[in-house]
Amino acid sequence: MRIYSASSEETLRARRLLTDWVGESFLTKAQYQVLEEETVSELRTTNVFLRLVLFLFTVIIVGAAAALFFVVFLLRPSEQTAGVFLLIFAAVCYAAAEVAVSQARLYRYGIEEALVVCSVGFLCAGMQFALFSGSPHSQDAVQCLVPAAGAVFSLWIWRRFGLPYLFLAAMIFVIFLPGYWTSSREAQHLIVAVFYATGLAGVAAVRSRHRFDYLEEAYSLVEAFLWLGIYLTINLQLSSLTLSPQWWGGTRAASEFPRPFYWGTWVLIWCLPPIVLARGVRRKDRFVIAVGAIVAVLTLASNKPYLGWPRHTWDPMLLGILLTGVAFFLRRWLARGPGGIRHGFTTARLSGKDKHWISVGATVLGPLSAHSITPDPQPSSPDFRFGGGQSGGGGASSDF
Amino acid sequence: MPDDGHGVPGPENEGFMTILTRLEQWKEQSTISPEQHAHLTGLSRGEPFSLFLELNVLLYAGVLVLVVGLGWTVSTWSQQLGDVLVLTVLSTILAACFWYCFSRAPAWSPAETPAPSPIFDYVLYLGSLVWSLELGYIENRFHALSGQLDLYLLATAGLFFFLAYRFDNRFVLSLGLSSLAGWLGLTISHWTAHQDAAYRQYALLYCLLVGVGGAVLQRRGLKPHFFGTYLNIVANVLFWAVLSGVFDREGYGLWVLAMLIACGASLAWGLARRQFAFVAYAAVYGYVGVSSLFLRSVTDESAVLSYFVVSGVAMLVVLVQIGRRFGRPA
Repeated sequence: MRIYSASSEETLRARRLLTDWVGESFLTKAQYQVLEEETVSELRTTNVFLRLVLFLFTVIIVGAAAALFFVVFLLRPSEQTAGVFLLIFAAVCYAAAEVAVSQARLYRYGIEEALVVCSVGFLCAGMQFALFSGSPHSQDAVQCLVPAAGAVFSLWIWRRFGLPYLFLAAMIFVIFLPGYWTSSREAQHLIVAVFYATGLAGVAAVRSRHRFDYLEEAYSLVEAFLWLGIYLTINLQLSSLTLSPQWWGGTRAASEFPRPFYWGTWVLIWCLPPIVLARGVRRKDRFVIAVGAIVAVLTLASNKPYLGWPRHTWDPMLLGILLTGVAFFLRRWLARGPGGIRHGFTTARLSGKDKHWISVGATVLGPLSAHSITPDPQPSSPDFRFGGGQSGGGGASSDF
Repeated sequence: MPDDGHGVPGPENEGFMTILTRLEQWKEQSTISPEQHAHLTGLSRGEPFSLFLELNVLLYAGVLVLVVGLGWTVSTWSQQLGDVLVLTVLSTILAACFWYCFSRAPAWSPAETPAPSPIFDYVLYLGSLVWSLELGYIENRFHALSGQLDLYLLATAGLFFFLAYRFDNRFVLSLGLSSLAGWLGLTISHWTAHQDAAYRQYALLYCLLVGVGGAVLQRRGLKPHFFGTYLNIVANVLFWAVLSGVFDREGYGLWVLAMLIACGASLAWGLARRQFAFVAYAAVYGYVGVSSLFLRSVTDESAVLSYFVVSGVAMLVVLVQIGRRFGRPA
């Protein structure tokens, strides 16, 4: 099913690890040169910046080419005709991506990624126009075919090309499905949560076979997405967009849902963070730990609106103190273990990527934070923006 | 080596070598020592598992949320709390942060210096943000800096640069660069009514100041690792300023020339130093600028779309060639 061979992807992973290890002086340069020759892959990869730019230009080309086709060859086509051609474009884009990988051996190169993303977009737009244009019943259950097809096709591309954001796209398509089946909002939340939970069970069953191989990280990321999706679905304060104006005011949203359902989700948003964190810690899974921490913070932040309690200006201060306190305590506790290790965890930096990300974050986030903390300027000088500069962060530089 | 029961290759793992198999093979070939094998095998299995990045993110988020809450509380409750209490609390936090940093910092070195403790950088960042907050509060309540707000920004930028270089802190360096940009912007607003053009020129002045300053400091060996931060900020400000000139309806010729020079310089720097962010800046900003020139007088739909197809393909070919020639081999 997968377009890349396992040995190619595993070789790429080995090379990435070697690069990291030599950067941290776990290997000598001489050793690296020898081992580098043993980890040559036929796949063609590129730098992250080039990948992004190639993605951008491929999307521009595909979008402009499709629009040009309509302008030149199809003057005022019917929606059905346009839909059929969009479906053809979807097939062409997908075929081009397959060819780009099988012939040019592109791997995370931007071009093949843009082609499959465009194919998903064309498929959904094409189905909508070809099958349902002019339909008097815009909420017909049969129209769920569009997001369903988007979800299935995204999942297929995720399996075939291994692009994690296509899995995320499939999760987003799933959100639209229950709206065609029921008008009950709690049922919609439940259906989405059941979809995600089913996916989670499937991923959990499959990923145990891929411990320590090249698919481990991919499954880890997908599991993290699913945990986050489940949490966001059951947290009614976050997932109900119509309630957002009440969020900061702390108005109770219980009236929008049946009380047992509402309070059931409140219990669940407190149960889920420890479960996710425990699973992440037990499996030493970075992405799942990160999602566990994120949902824990979200639970703390949304608890007051859930209970209908008013927010206080000092709430963020308390949260900040809690976060720094937890980080400080964990660091000290782990550092005091034998060799700075407790239960297999350490605070020591073991990868050069960690330092790189902190450096990028400092450049990008450093100036931005100044704008968020400073009070409004005095009325007498409207041009003045206290503490703020006009420049944004620079972004990262990176070697090829 | 402990086996947690997950290391057994599954059906899909057959037919290729995992990193663990490779390490075993490299040890048998004596390419790596048994000690290296044990260490690298442990790392591959997440033993030990490093929480370095996660704890740093948690500290950063904690400091930021703390200061946001502090600012929100101060701005909302200043009347009830009273100026004395607010200033006492802010000054105490500020003094504690700076005392911690100055008392724990090692002797200054022009080279890259590791932080003396894991929380050191974040304490300094907290102090710097609280400094901004306190000065903002003083200005809001007492208007003590009326008419001299630009000087305040300049002084704040100076303080942040000093702290960044003294304690080797990139967070604070970024704050300093941001404050310096704010000072220039504020100064211009006092000077001229034609602000768009003036802002553009002084954005260029900012780039010149920061770029030359960063280069001089790097050549003198003063925290040369900061140079990347300077260059990234300069490149983005420069391209925004030049592009805004290119978008003008009149008198844009010089800006087009400036854009081409900037793109060339960015491309050359990126390729020579293998810092591909600069190649990406040249490609994206350059494409936007050139496209605006070509398309400003074109109204025909198919001509516009044809332009995007042809120019996009051209860009793609050039970038793939660059990637092939300079890119990292797989």
